[in-house]
Amino acid sequence: MAAADLNTIRAVLESRLATELASAPVVPVVFHNMAFDPTPNSSWVQCLTSFGASEYLGQGLTSNSQNRVIGLITINVFSALGVGVGANYVIAKRIRDLYNRVIVSGVYFDAPIGPEVLAKASPEGFLQTQVRVTFEFIEEL
Amino acid sequence: MATIRGEQGSVQFETGGGSLATVVGTRSWSLTITKETYETTDHGDTFRNFVGGLISGEGTVELVYDPDATGQAAFIEDVVKVNDATDASFELFTTGSTSGTDSVAFAGIITDAEITSTVGELDVVTCSFVTSGTITSNLE
Repeated sequence: MAAADLNTIRAVLESRLATELASAPVVPVVFHNMAFDPTPNSSWVQCLTSFGASEYLGQGLTSNSQNRVIGLITINVFSALGVGVGANYVIAKRIRDLYNRVIVSGVYFDAPIGPEVLAKASPEGFLQTQVRVTFEFIEEL
Repeated sequence: MATIRGEQGSVQFETGGGSLATVVGTRSWSLTITKETYETTDHGDTFRNFVGGLISGEGTVELVYDPDATGQAAFIEDVVKVNDATDASFELFTTGSTSGTDSVAFAGIITDAEITSTVGELDVVTCSFVTSGTITSNLE
């Protein structure tokens, strides 16, 4: 075995979202460190993947050992202002269903949090809700 | 001074038909060695006297369950071996996995295996064992 490839894990998470939102009705999605100029009064999604603390799972130093790698996907759903929250929640539900208690390529997704409505959207000019999903991956050395 | 942390340790096991091999996925182990004492106090003594007697050991090994992890299945299934002739060997390492170094070695019997499956947590197996015969301490 080898140390966890964080980009492989990230690809598992993000490709799942990109594939879903590329199907009708299509919703633009943007990931970390990507330029994006949203169209006013449109719906779009921002996906931010980050890794947190790792912890020991098994004995053994750099061989025959395991770590638990924990991470968080923060997904911001933006939609038009002044038309209620329904359209936003439709997108959020698609995202929530995508990760809810799913195991993909060794990545365990927990039950999602949200969608939570944010009082102040960033960028402004949209209704913003947020879905967060914690996940973990068992790294085998 | 050289302190040791748990992640440096390991457990090796063989069930009677092979050679010792690391049980992958071991999260912790414990071993309690007990020596009986027999009283040898004489009438008229002011203080009690004892002599050391029979020595025995017991302990646990905790595994993060993985059916594909090397050595786990044989270890766990030793508890259901019938007419167990105490042919299993253990070597518990505080650090490393070099036979006869920083370890305690003994023959033993797995007497208990508790498998725990809880929502949102990794499945864990805790096996208890008793030693049988000589306990060799290499904790130099």
